[in-house]
Amino acid sequence: MKKLIVIGIMVISLSAYFALTVLVLPEKFLAQEQLVPIPYLEVELSKIEIDLGQSFILSTISENIGDYGDIHIVSAAFPTVQNIENNVKIVSYDFSNSPNYINYEDKIGANYSGGLESVLAQYPSIEAMNRPVYPGIKYVMDLQITPEEAGVFAVYLKAINIPHTSSSSHFPQSGQLDHQGEHVLVYTVNVNP
Amino acid sequence: MEIKQKNQSENPIENYSQKIFLLGSVLVSFGILQVTVGGSWDITNHLLNKPETFFSTPHAVMYSGVAISLIGVAISFFGYRNLQNFKNIFSLPLRIKFLGITLLIGAGPFDFIWHLNFGLDGLLSPPHLTLITGMLFCSMGGMFGISRFLKLKSSNIALSPYLLILGILPVWLAGSGIISSLSLPFSNTDYFQLNPDPLMAFIVATTLYPFLISFCSLTASRISNFKPGIVTILGGLFLLIYGLTAISPNFSLLEAALFYSLNLIPFVISDLILSFGKSKRFSLCAGGILGSVFYMVYFPYVMYTYNEVLLGKLVSPSMILHTYFEILPQVLQLTIIPAIIMGIVGVFAANKFSSKILMK
Repeated sequence: MKKLIVIGIMVISLSAYFALTVLVLPEKFLAQEQLVPIPYLEVELSKIEIDLGQSFILSTISENIGDYGDIHIVSAAFPTVQNIENNVKIVSYDFSNSPNYINYEDKIGANYSGGLESVLAQYPSIEAMNRPVYPGIKYVMDLQITPEEAGVFAVYLKAINIPHTSSSSHFPQSGQLDHQGEHVLVYTVNVNP
Repeated sequence: MEIKQKNQSENPIENYSQKIFLLGSVLVSFGILQVTVGGSWDITNHLLNKPETFFSTPHAVMYSGVAISLIGVAISFFGYRNLQNFKNIFSLPLRIKFLGITLLIGAGPFDFIWHLNFGLDGLLSPPHLTLITGMLFCSMGGMFGISRFLKLKSSNIALSPYLLILGILPVWLAGSGIISSLSLPFSNTDYFQLNPDPLMAFIVATTLYPFLISFCSLTASRISNFKPGIVTILGGLFLLIYGLTAISPNFSLLEAALFYSLNLIPFVISDLILSFGKSKRFSLCAGGILGSVFYMVYFPYVMYTYNEVLLGKLVSPSMILHTYFEILPQVLQLTIIPAIIMGIVGVFAANKFSSKILMK
């Protein structure tokens, strides 16, 4: 008799276990809205016009103004040059991961696909990354740039948060597209000969 | 050959040497337990933070565990050397420990050099495989040593169930590490594409995880002579370690703590079934139940293996929970029967293995 009661309790417990883990709790978790981290980026140029041989500072301050996220990326790309080895220097940086230097014709992700789609880079860029990314914390990356040629020196800037769930997961959300098919802020400095 | 109980009090040196050997085995098992905890934490750390150097806290935990195991092997050797009557009983555990510790010690510098040359490495890199294989051998050596000592003393020690659990838990965790390495898609790097084939990974996870849960639980139960509570404590500690190292560091998984803690129920039920008697049908029933819950027990990372085949989408850490539950019904449909079968196979393997451990 006692054994039968124990068996009954065991059957009920096991049924409750499977009901909770397979039916009840999954439904509850799937009904929840997914976290949406939202990046924001501010950019400041120290000068908008310089003489050849002079430098200018490009300062970026970014943050996550949405939900908790996994990765926060700020990218600075240089569409008017093919090499940044000698003319772009990071002077201030507080992201958790080391900066990633992307060279001309490197394979890179495209269309906010997180690497599922890729293209070859048409110009160099620097990617700063922080993992994970809590809301409200500001991240700084300052670049000292010394153009090697006269003319217009352009810099493309953007911020992306992962998971990338909607258009609010990237900044800016509209405007010019870069070689990755992703929206960028465009900043230019006139370099006088 | 069967280990027979003898009155050891007449031979204090023999008695002392056996206890020294036990101490060595306990240290080896404890050290490997620490390595496995560090290893599981390291996987989470890689997934969340993408560390860039060899010098990280999980690595420090892992390699201090290696040091403890090394001390344990040295103490075991010291105890073994002074044994007079039972060298044959303890020679196999000692040899397995030597093999394991050699691999473990070699894995440290190998891993360091690998990091220096290739930067961030994947889960299934040659140094990691060396490390995990060494962990498995060392933990088996520790478990053999502890089990044989307890058998020799006819388990006449108050701490014996806990020592047994300490012996088996690292084997379970190290075995899980090997299965994870062979099935999780965490091994591609800039230099090497070592991710397992998705279909092979699917088969490996579906067969070996249920087998391992059942095998370790039933081995513990058999060695302890079906002592009630052993499977519950063993399963509970496994869940606790996984919960602390794989779930709690990930902010977005914290709300799944209740879901994960429910996994104690199948262990308690299996424990109760095993306590009904030594009949094979009770063991088979317990093994089948334990095998069937592997997808829940190995929450959350097992999802990545099945996602590769079922969805193929990119899952960042904060999406784990959603994706895990999204594919759960499909995974259960595909795996529940093979998982139960492998749980039952685990029972037969545990019978054979426990006989080997106890030299019956």
